[in-house]
Amino acid sequence: MKLRRRAIACALFASAGLSLAASQAMAQAVKVGIIGPFSGPFAHYGALFKASAEAYVGSQGGKLAGHDIEFIYRDTGGPNPGLAKTLAQELIVKDKVDYLGGFVFTPNAMAVAPLIQQSQTPTLIFNAGTSSITEKSEYFVRTSYTLWQVTVPMAQWAAKQNMKRVVTAVTDYGPGIDAETAFKTEFGKQGGTVVESIRMPIGTTDFGPFVQRIKASGAQAVFTFLPGGPPNLGFVKAYNENGLAKAGVQFLGTTETDEFDLQKFGDSALGLTTALHYSGAHESPANKKFVDALKKRDSAAVANYASVGAWDGMYVIHKMIEATGGKRDGAKALAAARGLKWESPRGPVSIDPKTRHITQNVYLRKVERVGDLLVNKELQSFGPQTDYGLDK
Amino acid sequence: MNTFLNIMIDGLAYSMVLFVISVGLSVTLGLMRFVNLSHGAFAMVGGYCAALLTREAQWSFWLAVPAAVAATAVLGAALEMLVLRHLYRRKELDQVLFTIGLSFVLIAATNAAVGPQVQLIPLPSLLAGSVDLGFRTLPTQRLLVIAAGCTVAALAAWAVTRTRFGIWLRATVDHSGTASTLGIPIRTVQCASFAAGAALAGLGGILGAELMPLEPYYALKYLMLVLVVVAVGGMGSIAGTLVAAILLGLIETASKYLASEWGSLFFFVAMAVLLAWRPNGLLKR
Amino acid sequence: MNTITTTEALAAPAAATAAAAPRGAPAWRAPLVVLVLGAAACALAPDQLGLMTRIFITALLVLSLDLVVGVAGLATLGHAALFGVGAYAAGIFALQVHPDPLIGLAVGIAAGAGLALLSGAFLLRYHGFTFLMLTVAVSQILLSLAQRARGWTGGDDGLSGFVMVPLLGRFEFDLEGRVAACYALAVLVVLFYVARRLVGSPFGLAVRGIHENPVRMAALGTPVFRRLWVLYTVAGAIAGAAGALSAQTNAVVGLDSLSFALSAELLVMLILGGAGRLTGAIVGATVFTLLHHTAASINPYHWLFVVGTLLMLVVVVSPAKVWAWVRRRAGGVR
Repeated sequence: MKLRRRAIACALFASAGLSLAASQAMAQAVKVGIIGPFSGPFAHYGALFKASAEAYVGSQGGKLAGHDIEFIYRDTGGPNPGLAKTLAQELIVKDKVDYLGGFVFTPNAMAVAPLIQQSQTPTLIFNAGTSSITEKSEYFVRTSYTLWQVTVPMAQWAAKQNMKRVVTAVTDYGPGIDAETAFKTEFGKQGGTVVESIRMPIGTTDFGPFVQRIKASGAQAVFTFLPGGPPNLGFVKAYNENGLAKAGVQFLGTTETDEFDLQKFGDSALGLTTALHYSGAHESPANKKFVDALKKRDSAAVANYASVGAWDGMYVIHKMIEATGGKRDGAKALAAARGLKWESPRGPVSIDPKTRHITQNVYLRKVERVGDLLVNKELQSFGPQTDYGLDK
Repeated sequence: MNTFLNIMIDGLAYSMVLFVISVGLSVTLGLMRFVNLSHGAFAMVGGYCAALLTREAQWSFWLAVPAAVAATAVLGAALEMLVLRHLYRRKELDQVLFTIGLSFVLIAATNAAVGPQVQLIPLPSLLAGSVDLGFRTLPTQRLLVIAAGCTVAALAAWAVTRTRFGIWLRATVDHSGTASTLGIPIRTVQCASFAAGAALAGLGGILGAELMPLEPYYALKYLMLVLVVVAVGGMGSIAGTLVAAILLGLIETASKYLASEWGSLFFFVAMAVLLAWRPNGLLKR
Repeated sequence: MNTITTTEALAAPAAATAAAAPRGAPAWRAPLVVLVLGAAACALAPDQLGLMTRIFITALLVLSLDLVVGVAGLATLGHAALFGVGAYAAGIFALQVHPDPLIGLAVGIAAGAGLALLSGAFLLRYHGFTFLMLTVAVSQILLSLAQRARGWTGGDDGLSGFVMVPLLGRFEFDLEGRVAACYALAVLVVLFYVARRLVGSPFGLAVRGIHENPVRMAALGTPVFRRLWVLYTVAGAIAGAAGALSAQTNAVVGLDSLSFALSAELLVMLILGGAGRLTGAIVGATVFTLLHHTAASINPYHWLFVVGTLLMLVVVVSPAKVWAWVRRRAGGVR
């Protein structure tokens, strides 16, 4: 028994030593820790973050503000706040990262808030969409979007189309509830009614029953939000297969026509209307540069809201490195980030100095076929939108 | 009334998928007392084979599905003969550990080979459309699922009651020692049933691909559901598995229609009640 | 199928150690070794204390599982429920009432024990596979309830926003995690000692007897159900303690603490280390967590290969036999 214990103790020390050794590798580089899902059903987010972040550094000539960048990737698997906190703690204390980035799931971001506040580590949110995250720490800067931000213009547009009765169907978790509340509030302000609010459990894979409920509600349109990945695919398929479009229920979505899965829908996706801050088909030189750099880095990567979130996140980190001269100074970096304005692949954007959230254009898009591929064609721009969820 | 019919139809489709996947595990558990937690992996393998054959190799759906099912059966038989049967005498916890390890390896292999995205099985035009039933539109694929499930149930019932193999199977489940002294080839029965169970799981994975998306974690994600159906229905009882799958499938669908904010609460409450009432299975005493 | 025997039959070379026999090494020896090793590990890796804390908490949780699975012989796949309920109770207490660590720990222990008491009254009437599936049902029902009660638990966003006050009024929870690691280690060592004493006591012997042959024990006059119920409650208390520790050191509680995946992982860790001897629980938890951490940081996509292969290997080539072979080579037959 003692023999086994001794052996285990040796193994313990050895592995600790190994990981200690590995981190001594690069000395003067600026370290950026990326926390996201690299395994499991949402692993594509991690792959996109990685491809995009590295593509950005490549597009700037391999160095940002004259400094080498060392990326350290850590896998949370899924929403796992305890693990996210342990990983962030290790990145901050052991690997001594200068910046943190990533975060797909709200609970993971919430969990690291006290850590980044205490250690003054600027943290870029590449994807998570719940408004209240940025309030948890002064060191959060968000380059993704929030549900209020994209839903309010959608509700306004729906009202302008003379829609009076809409049903909402969202996934039953933070961002989903944000979307539902945002739509209800704004649509109500514009004089419409939300006839039913359907909340779908987060593990749902079979959306048939929910789609039947939508049909039975007698609404003119369904506004929906789903977390991205398999649920989006399932919902859109159920919408098509159960003949909702034919029954006259228009589709009002946000991330459901994600470029990542879009091609899988085939022609059944044509005509789906969504409102979002980024379309891979956005026509601008900045977007072309982004798409080309991304494809060069990883031919399997797609340009979607997740990869552009990472790209713009790296832009902000770039500016922060410039402002601090590559040294670790959280307060100075944040000061540089507040009020930043630039032309992103998604359009003109800026970082709101008060809320540290990205103010950006939200577009109305429709799925169309261009050549061989399905794209989200931007029909109109709603103009710059802030995070309405924080204005209350 | 509309809602009731909807629940019946959607619920039946879901139940059939659960039944087809679970029946193999029920028989294996009842027959060999072997806790095979890699059963979900067979469903996944069947689905993936069908997806890859139809999408990449451009085979016809009607050819690819039987081929995928056959491939899963071969995989099941090979695993059983080479590896798993050495574990029959081991303790349950060892079997649990080994088969979970096997599932992990299969998940990682699938991820490495094909990637983490959801695999769609392209349906032939006959099945890809929707059927207008008057009160609702139903994807044609769901009808296929219900029909296939009923067929499997009928075939299984026939095979177990009317064929010699069925008699051997029932005898071995009841008491393998006596069966073997009577000259019944136990090893053949075990291997063949395991392969058949794996094949059915593969078929279930293909049929259920619309309801339970195929991605690498499939093997463990739906394992719990399958275990629940087997437990409630009773190990080794095909009829019990059918009844359990239908009951639980209907309850889960009904709760999606009527009380979706409660998630799967009613499913598990029903399961607990049924299991507490009939601990050895619904149709056993 | 309905009785599950311990791994003691395989652990022949380990038969000389304390936990297997009623008389043997004193109960404080193994906990003392854990204390020394744990402290040494923390001293040698001062920038990975978050990982150390995680290991201590997981070890405590798997220890409580060992009481149920290894000692009492009740295979359960719902143990995460006891952990989660302790975590949420401690978290909600810290958020709504008072964020003191030790009081929160007591709340977590009470919650875990309470749930075990209530659910055990129902669950322990069943055996084998039925019991296993009913534990799954109980923990999934709790998960659904926690998801529904967003106002209390935060639902899928997790429970956060509470900041713990300094431990014992003096030790503030610092960024590097020093206080958290010491706190977790201390609780682990104390509860490990308690568990050892329990298992070595006449009560523990009775439970072992029930594990091996419930009918005979009943014939001897042992109130079988009551003994198992008490043991389950104690295991629930320890799991609740682990939950409270997790809530306090992470300052966040997620729904993953009630998940089936966690229960399954715990069982795997326990079987890996060897069930029934309590020390196996700690070894299994440590090895698995370290492995996951190292493999995942090297390559998050493929760590499952490593773990899966290891699990299969461990079953095929039993570690107990390997150690026996090593000992024979190292000198002398035992």
